[in-house]
Amino acid sequence: MIGYYISLALRSLRGTPILSALMVAAIAVGVGASMTVLTLNYMMSQNALAHKNDVLYAVQLDSWDPNQTFNRGDGGNDIPLQLTYQDATALLRSDIPARQVAMHRYGFTVTLEDSEARPFTAETRVSTRDFFALFDVPFIYGGTWAEDADLSPEQLVVLSKATNDRLFGGADSVGQIVNLNGEPFTVVGVIDNWNPSPKIYDLNNNPFADSEELFIPFGLHRRFEMVSWGNTNGWSAGDNGYEGYEARLFGESVWIQYWVELNSAEQKSQYDEFLTGYIRQQKEQGRFPRPLKFALTPPSEWLVLNDVLEDDNRVLGWVSLAFLLVCVVNAIALLLAKFLRKAPEAGVRRALGASRHAIFMQHLIESMCIGVLGGLFGIVLALIGLSGIRALTLGIADRIASMDWLMMLAAIVLAILASLLAGIYPAWRISRTNPSVYLKSQ
Amino acid sequence: MLELKPMLSALWRNKVAALLIALQLALTLAIVSNATVIVMERIDKMARPTGMDLENIFSVTFKPVDNNYDMAGAMQADLDLIRSLPGVIDASVTHQIPLSGSGSASGYYTEPNQVVGSFTANYYQTDPHFIEALGLNLVEGRNFLDNEMYTIGQNDRHNPAVVIVTKRFAERVFPDESAVGKFLYAGADDHPTQIIGVIERHLGAWPGWSLGGNAVFVPLFVTNKQAHYVVRTESGQRDALLKQVEAQLAERDPERVIKLATLSEQLAESYVGDNLMVKVLTVVIALLTLIVALGIVGLTFFWINQRTKQIGVRRALGATRANISRYFLVENSMIAGSGLLLGAAGATTINEILVRDLSQPVLPLSLLFLCALLLLSVSLVAALSPAMRAANISPAVATRSV
Repeated sequence: MIGYYISLALRSLRGTPILSALMVAAIAVGVGASMTVLTLNYMMSQNALAHKNDVLYAVQLDSWDPNQTFNRGDGGNDIPLQLTYQDATALLRSDIPARQVAMHRYGFTVTLEDSEARPFTAETRVSTRDFFALFDVPFIYGGTWAEDADLSPEQLVVLSKATNDRLFGGADSVGQIVNLNGEPFTVVGVIDNWNPSPKIYDLNNNPFADSEELFIPFGLHRRFEMVSWGNTNGWSAGDNGYEGYEARLFGESVWIQYWVELNSAEQKSQYDEFLTGYIRQQKEQGRFPRPLKFALTPPSEWLVLNDVLEDDNRVLGWVSLAFLLVCVVNAIALLLAKFLRKAPEAGVRRALGASRHAIFMQHLIESMCIGVLGGLFGIVLALIGLSGIRALTLGIADRIASMDWLMMLAAIVLAILASLLAGIYPAWRISRTNPSVYLKSQ
Repeated sequence: MLELKPMLSALWRNKVAALLIALQLALTLAIVSNATVIVMERIDKMARPTGMDLENIFSVTFKPVDNNYDMAGAMQADLDLIRSLPGVIDASVTHQIPLSGSGSASGYYTEPNQVVGSFTANYYQTDPHFIEALGLNLVEGRNFLDNEMYTIGQNDRHNPAVVIVTKRFAERVFPDESAVGKFLYAGADDHPTQIIGVIERHLGAWPGWSLGGNAVFVPLFVTNKQAHYVVRTESGQRDALLKQVEAQLAERDPERVIKLATLSEQLAESYVGDNLMVKVLTVVIALLTLIVALGIVGLTFFWINQRTKQIGVRRALGATRANISRYFLVENSMIAGSGLLLGAAGATTINEILVRDLSQPVLPLSLLFLCALLLLSVSLVAALSPAMRAANISPAVATRSV
């Protein structure tokens, strides 16, 4: 029967080409516009750490100004998003977390000995060794550095796949020497392509930037007098009793991102206690002037806290859904017009014995056919819309403005739902047709 | 005269269709008016003057290969070289590139040892050439002198003796009086810094910042692991000089990485989000209006088809063509009018939510009215052609098929 209804539907659509085209266009435009925006919002809300959401936590300590709270963005929790260097190094001494990472962004000038290649600047992640295991970063060659390297100035480096391709043509470069700011670093590992977007492990600055090109141990700060190549927020410019670079390391500015992996509720409560104890002890030394406050935030909430999906994106999301609604209302009106015009036909079918239910189903299937067609054209429109967004965002949104198969499926489902919603009333209305009226006037 | 009573009873018989048109117009008005106010706000924001000679400036960033590099020496040699090129108006060193989205801000106080009540501003560490190199306008006071310029190491502390500020910052900190000669202090510090000049306007490093336009310029060069210059050229020579500067700096010292960008590129990049909002919402407004218009055309045609006989009868009973088309136009305006009224209420409610939760601008009543008027005319234009066709229905139709 469904096959028969579909063939009836297609014949009926061909019968009124202009009206049918208008309806397909209404659904297609609605689905195209909403899927363009929803795809963008969906890609921006991806959580690359979803599979470890119950064991990973971003660490925040409220070491801020006694006179005012740390306040950034709408989603914030009034605690600085990063740690001071002195707190990060102190937390690293805890053996409670299964893994922990203290890190920040930096940049080096890269050269190779005996190479004619032009020097280039490489975005660098300065981190403790657990970075790769904690964030599930896959290695092609070698592995992370030994624990000592995070405490002493050992010049070791892990290369991204792209950097290894650029410097060594993709060969196993473990043991080779790369010069960073003119100083020799030994390659200990090469990671595979790895580019979480949003860049959940460090959402400062651009959350859709590429991952770093080099990774070096945390023990090299003094050797290179490194500062953050990301956000640094401070409140106390005063003298802290240290001179030179040490004054920076022992200052109250926050610039270190900190993550821990806590595998059980017990570990988590132990760590809570540890942080409470640490802040109490620091308070005794005159630091942490604010009320005792810290936060351990899982990845999914970390994305919200950092306002990754901005207000503008939400506005566009709602606008696109409202747009789809207008298109549905439009389709209801057009379907009503179309079905009522065919009322005599339905009257004849009713007179020949078709039940109301059969008439209803027949017309619902007709509107579903419009939905499928509208969905297919809608995907095309959404792809055009997304390419428009890629062009408008000057390459910044290239990775987020693209549709995966899931979103294509969602587009079809959305289109069918929209057309069914649009079809229910007109189909019901026509199924109530009184056959006698039409039989009489023929 | 307007045949209101028969019209209302006809409408009542077609209430669902009328309701659907009214509902579409209501939703459309709610979306279009709010989208328009957002678009207008963003266009205004992007059109704000930067205070600079935007089209003729590019920035240079360099990072040496060697970890122990003579940054101060290189800076002096580079700037001498750049300034000597014909077509270059001036060049200066700065620790942040205007409009780039990357920079520094600090809180300033008006009393020594103050710790609360600071005025935040975007600050530049730059040199006495910055006014010329950015094409800024000094409206009060004087520029830095060469002997007020200091060079310090990355970890050294330095309290500047003098600063130049923007007018916006000056008026915020010292309303109703001249800021020149006044003193600023860092927090919990008693070292006075005197304001010696006021710049008419400068948007700063972050064009989207709520405090954008509050800027403080400090005569200071901090020897860091990288440095930035800004270079202003004679009109129309920017792109040629950009290539020339890149080549000459690389030739002077190839042991470094050099990156150049024009300020107009930087500005476009920092407005990417706003530009996206404008373009997407404009497309939405246009498509919505089109869809609603097409819907009205389709439905009115259908409607008239349904009522062909009645129209014929009316014509046969003496109604003129004008009577018939006027009937449909008035009917359409009644439906549109009630829909738009509903839409106006919806638009206001939605706007309240947008303002409260999603930091969007307030929708002025005048704009709402304008959008409603526009949609009303769109709806009338859409109904025009079906109404004309209705007028052409021959009275004979009425007699034929009954």
